[in-house]
Amino acid sequence: MTSRRFKRFTVATIATLTVAALTGCSAAGSGTSSDAPHGKPVTIEFWGSAIGQEKSVDLFNKAHADVQIKYTQISAGSAGGYEKMLNAVKAGNAPCLGQVSYDTIPSFASAGALEDISKYAKPSKDLFAPAAWGLSSVGGQVYGIPVDVGPMALYYRADLFKQYGIEAPATWKDFATAAATVHTSNPNAYLTTLPLSTYDIGALAWQAGGQWFGTKDNAWQVNINDKPSQQVAQYWQGLVDDQLVVAEPAFDTAWYTSIQDGRVLSFVGAAWAVALLEQNAPGLSGKLAVAKLPQWQEGKSVSGNRGGSDNAVLKGCKNPKEATEAAVWLSTNKDSVNSYIKNTGIFPASVSGQNLPVLAQGSDFFNGQKIYDVFSSAAKNTPADWAWGPTMTTLQPQINDGLKLVGAGQETIPKLLDSAQSSTVADMKAHGLTVTK
Amino acid sequence: MTAPALPAELAAQQEPAPRRRQSSSHKTRSALLLLTPFSLLFLGVMIAPIVYALVQSLFRVQRSGLGLGGGETLFVGIENYITALQNKDFIASFGRVFGIGIVQVPLMLLIALVLALLLDAAFAPLRRTFRLIFFLPYAFPAVIAAIMWSFLYQPRIGPFSDWLAAIGLDVNFLSGDMAFFSIGNMMIWGYTGFNMLIIYSALQAVPEELSEAASLDGAGWWQTAWNIKIPAVRPAIILSAVFSIIGTIQLYNDPAILSKVAPGISSTFTPIMAAQQSAAANNYNLAAAQSIILALVAFVLSFGFLKFTQRKGAES
Repeated sequence: MTSRRFKRFTVATIATLTVAALTGCSAAGSGTSSDAPHGKPVTIEFWGSAIGQEKSVDLFNKAHADVQIKYTQISAGSAGGYEKMLNAVKAGNAPCLGQVSYDTIPSFASAGALEDISKYAKPSKDLFAPAAWGLSSVGGQVYGIPVDVGPMALYYRADLFKQYGIEAPATWKDFATAAATVHTSNPNAYLTTLPLSTYDIGALAWQAGGQWFGTKDNAWQVNINDKPSQQVAQYWQGLVDDQLVVAEPAFDTAWYTSIQDGRVLSFVGAAWAVALLEQNAPGLSGKLAVAKLPQWQEGKSVSGNRGGSDNAVLKGCKNPKEATEAAVWLSTNKDSVNSYIKNTGIFPASVSGQNLPVLAQGSDFFNGQKIYDVFSSAAKNTPADWAWGPTMTTLQPQINDGLKLVGAGQETIPKLLDSAQSSTVADMKAHGLTVTK
Repeated sequence: MTAPALPAELAAQQEPAPRRRQSSSHKTRSALLLLTPFSLLFLGVMIAPIVYALVQSLFRVQRSGLGLGGGETLFVGIENYITALQNKDFIASFGRVFGIGIVQVPLMLLIALVLALLLDAAFAPLRRTFRLIFFLPYAFPAVIAAIMWSFLYQPRIGPFSDWLAAIGLDVNFLSGDMAFFSIGNMMIWGYTGFNMLIIYSALQAVPEELSEAASLDGAGWWQTAWNIKIPAVRPAIILSAVFSIIGTIQLYNDPAILSKVAPGISSTFTPIMAAQQSAAANNYNLAAAQSIILALVAFVLSFGFLKFTQRKGAES
């Protein structure tokens, strides 16, 4: 072979190999669900992060021959799970089902990462709590099937409350008084920690009647610093200024230690915190109790919602009908929901789930208290018209950073909400979204 | 040659020449063949993503209304770059890594150099032990090390704040400006051993005769080190410095892990964290532009440093 012919041969080989490699790569990624033309089961890929979820998936797989779910555990959404899902959607090889929190559904929908499953999901609407259904839709289009909700209540050290001579506060005014009592009698003790997450502040604003986002006539409404939210902001800023709360991120090692040591006496948390406490703070067994959230108005029972998620159908799913039906089964089937309650520690979003007998039992960890009575009532009394916005993936870290600075005394919560408002509106407009009042 | 040769002789005379031509193209062929696997990988894994990022950075996704219909991809030229450079926080993130680097890199190289010299002068059996000890932090998985440091730094879980409180100093290693020193400390802990090994290996290549000649001339250990050893390992120090400059500009791991528990570290503390945030917010085009800007800055700094040291070397 002459030198020139060899060079051409080499180039041709390299070119062929490269093309083959690239086609091979793209073929492997072109959709993750197989069709079932001749009796082979349809495989639905599902990425989730909730612990124990695989048990519900196993129950589904045992009960179905024509559809099988392939479950993969990934990191929690805000810890990288959402990034992973968005990357997969962009690469064209996303799973059919993904666990997406209510707060992130509008962001995903606005990013074109979710399939509109309205026509498959509408028949199941009445199976779920209205607030949860509302949170799974944006602009009237349904994107996911609710799994759980996060009704809020006050978790507190019943033993230490007795010791300090205080009762579970009925109003936020009582809460502030109790905070002062605790810190005055023991400078090393605090009634609670400063809410350090965007979604904590959001849930409290929700309870107060705030409405950070809304949709009207194909446009977004943004009111992060509306009056109820500012009321919440000023209240907690007051507690920070008086040094009655300490800034420790919730569900962190230091935080569990603080509650066990009696440095922190209570916290405002959602129903799913039960499982986390049982796993990470076994020393608290028998010492905690759950009470209705402190109220802004005497005698009311309003609560907020923190967390809760959908099993959403991601863009590019080849079998949206089967995926929707699988998700509905996971969220409503008696055995599946019982498994979720037992293994994942959630409070179900489905109506049938909320009425399961297991939720009527007392909890050993909470000294026999029927804690789910409190959460059920909270779920029923959560305002149903709250909506999240399409930029939570930017807004959440921004407010988180700001709250960290609030804890260090370098920022105030009211100012933080104001700057979040202006930057969110600017951000949304820059992306071409329509924003109205 | 006197008379026209027979065809057989002609053929015999002609053979050596083609063989000579063949051998040099034969070498080229072998070289190309051996380079093929590397070239494929290099093109696919290094060049293709860079080209992809460059292309992505020239577009933007424009939404409308509620944004539910996905969006249309528009060609916007350098608009993403202008947006990135007008973002004060992004520029500030460069300032932050420069601030950390300007203190941490020289300090770390100084410590690495001193340790390498000491190791070189050490008693032989001790050498292997200390080489291993100094290198261990680098062998530690980076994320595990960062988590460990985050526990050590936290005021009530780790011991540092308590020890300082015992002597009356109230220090929060994760708050405000202290965060810079804390991160710099983690980097010195993690990378000094690696750089020390580079310098130490270069020291081994210094001929014994030079040091012997120096000591015969009456030079002490320090004078030998200053006048002979350090200049001899200059290339190794420069190499370490370039690696460190690039590594510091691309700082991600340590601040990202600490960020969860550190008020002084925002989620866009370093340029890479800012680009990751853009990607997490589904703005891949802006993330691509930010990454390209970061790569250019790293290139300019490391290349500039190399040129600067070459010039200084030429002068001296």
